Amino acid sequence: MENLHAVARIINTIHKNRGRQEIDSIYKDSRFREDLGFDSLDLAELTVRIEAEFDIDIFEDGIVSTVGEVLGKIGGAK
Amino acid sequence: MSLFFRDTTNSTTVTWDDLIHDIASTQTYNRFCFKTDFYQILKHIIVSLLCREEIILLDNDFTEDELISLVGSADIGCHERPIDKKIFSDIKSKVDLLQKLQPPIENWSITMFTSGTTGLPKKVSHSFQSITRFVRVSERNISHVWGFAYNPTHIAGTQVFFQALLNGNAIVRLFGLSKDEIYKEIEDFGITNISATPTFYRLMLPADKAYPSVVRITSGGEKFDEKATGQITKIFPNAKITNVYASTEAGSLFASDGNVFSIKPEMLPMVKIENDELLVHNSLMGMSEINHGEWYKTGDLIKIISEDPLKFIFISRKNEMINVGGYKVNPHEVEEAIRSMQGIKDVRVFAKRNSVLGNIICCDIVKIDESMDEPTIRTYLQTRLQEFKIPRMLKFVDELSMTRTGKIKRN
Repeated sequence: MENLHAVARIINTIHKNRGRQEIDSIYKDSRFREDLGFDSLDLAELTVRIEAEFDIDIFEDGIVSTVGEVLGKIGGAK
Repeated sequence: MSLFFRDTTNSTTVTWDDLIHDIASTQTYNRFCFKTDFYQILKHIIVSLLCREEIILLDNDFTEDELISLVGSADIGCHERPIDKKIFSDIKSKVDLLQKLQPPIENWSITMFTSGTTGLPKKVSHSFQSITRFVRVSERNISHVWGFAYNPTHIAGTQVFFQALLNGNAIVRLFGLSKDEIYKEIEDFGITNISATPTFYRLMLPADKAYPSVVRITSGGEKFDEKATGQITKIFPNAKITNVYASTEAGSLFASDGNVFSIKPEMLPMVKIENDELLVHNSLMGMSEINHGEWYKTGDLIKIISEDPLKFIFISRKNEMINVGGYKVNPHEVEEAIRSMQGIKDVRVFAKRNSVLGNIICCDIVKIDESMDEPTIRTYLQTRLQEFKIPRMLKFVDELSMTRTGKIKRN
């Protein structure tokens, strides 16, 4: 749960930086492109911010599509 | 019905007949193309060819400031003027249209903008001959279906477009789609050829199954790592993978096998290597506002691995351009934009390696005005720079680290 909050906070930082509305409800099965409106620049920023906080490159083995997949990588690293 | 263009982002499916009908009902022409819809951009290019009018492609995310400094005004609509519709009257079929697009096409040029080595984007123009230099029209290509994975206002996009157009192929937009959508389009439309940046392919990984319809994968713009190549081979078991060396100034120049580029004998007189830098003869270049002299310095540092035949690999860039997913960003341009703000003392823009885009733009900022914050800077930059040039990571620091020569350090 704690990690979900942290990832949701990072997602909203990225939205805010691009001058977009923050998203209230972010779930494990939220998809980055379709549900959260991320493009590849946003995904790149996401990797940098996750890496800074959790010390793991979530894209190292290919793309992650959902918030749950990111949580899986973070969890697996610990 | 034979497909011309498919764009799932706005549910557009255009046949060649639809295209011909749309062209016939065109009333006006504007030499500036500033559009968002890919089909409208491609149609605009075809109309320009038929009318033998120059076309100037403007990125749809150019800001008002950029438009004013690049073309003198943000009011693109005022350049609209009527055209002689007789030009289109004898185009009744795809065959007629392709006939009209047969070379030689004189008195026509296509202009686009690329990140210059100083300040603003620079203008580069190509003739029909130079933009289609590497287009291969052949019977074998007739049934190709192209996955369109570039921005159509950039050189790579226009080159893919011409390859597809002159062979009468179908084009399916893949640019900007999600991974699932991309695979769906490949499957639904039996895409055979894809040309894209390594970033694009990286974003397609991993895949659950193989897509046998694809027979050719082309990439360019940045280095493609072996791990990604291995995964791509599994997804597209029937595809031959080639790398293309290209730049906005020159278009595609040579293809590689893996990371090794071979120069064909007929190209030998056109290239020269000086202090490990690749130089290209100006006869291969598009027309630019800047005179490069007889030899154009590409800024790419290479290592020769065989003299005869000439083969080399790319080592790095000589200049400081940062490659963000195939888009070149000049750190000086970004620094200039940030420095132009009140309350900023100094700034350093640099690249950080990134597994998605190759590089991501970061900056350190020294502020004088304590109230200056990140949202203010971002809001300002959104009016000055294209999105991909805006630093994604922004940090306030007390001072910038310098190199021993007193220059700002970028790495």
